[in-house]
Amino acid sequence: MHPLRHPRNAIFVGLMFSLIGVVYWFVQYRADFHADIAGVTLLLLLGVAVSIMAYVLIAGSPND
Amino acid sequence: MATDSHALTPQDHSPVAGLAHDERGGISNVVLGMLLFITSEVMFFAGLFAAYFNVRANAPQWPPINAETGEAFHLEILPLVGPATVLLILSSFTCQFAVWAIRRGDRTAFLRNIGVTFAIGVTFLIMQGIDYTILYSEGVTLGSGTFGTTYFTLTGFHGAHVFGGAIMLGVVLYRGLAGQFSARHHDAVEAVSLYWHFVDVVWILLFSLLYLLPGKSPAGV
Repeated sequence: MHPLRHPRNAIFVGLMFSLIGVVYWFVQYRADFHADIAGVTLLLLLGVAVSIMAYVLIAGSPND
Repeated sequence: MATDSHALTPQDHSPVAGLAHDERGGISNVVLGMLLFITSEVMFFAGLFAAYFNVRANAPQWPPINAETGEAFHLEILPLVGPATVLLILSSFTCQFAVWAIRRGDRTAFLRNIGVTFAIGVTFLIMQGIDYTILYSEGVTLGSGTFGTTYFTLTGFHGAHVFGGAIMLGVVLYRGLAGQFSARHHDAVEAVSLYWHFVDVVWILLFSLLYLLPGKSPAGV
């Protein structure tokens, strides 16, 4: 059995990038910096892309 | 000499293998390729969304003033874009109904639903074309500053993806009418449905950003 057990759990790998995006935005917001909206958007959607990628890699691997 | 090398085993990859309801593991090449393609498409649209947010955040007011009319740009949800959005969301359901139908071997329901999905996709494109014509007549063009550029780039690229999806649906419909696809062999149907759902999700995001997100007044006003 693969350590991630189920392909859906691989999505958490991608969600880490989205979490980094949220933290990136929150730090700028709290510190009253000029918000890098483009960077936040890319990080959030990078999380989505990596989620799909991780899902594909795990789901595409045989169970043995 | 005849062999049974083509006999199916529980470990054979099916289009839906690897998805939640299939415990056999693995995933078909077609679905794998489509998922990887969608992954790259997510980042493609991420770049466009990021550019839009950047332009919007740096503008003194949003929507900006149209230099030709002297008034702020304004986008109408009715009578075209709202109904087109509802239709596109509806098409995701019909597309999924087609997938479920072919999974249980119901070819009639599959063909009916994939046909409806294809028709809705074409209708959406026609409605978008009419909307573009109206906007151009009102002076909103690709050259209307950052607003026109970002609006037509975002919706135009999405429209191009709907066009691509409609072609794929057309091919699947044609192949279905020709007697192809069964409960066992329908990789293309699964792959096209994934793509169509992705296009639908992108439009929901686009619609929310362009039509529903409140504008920004100039500082001090």
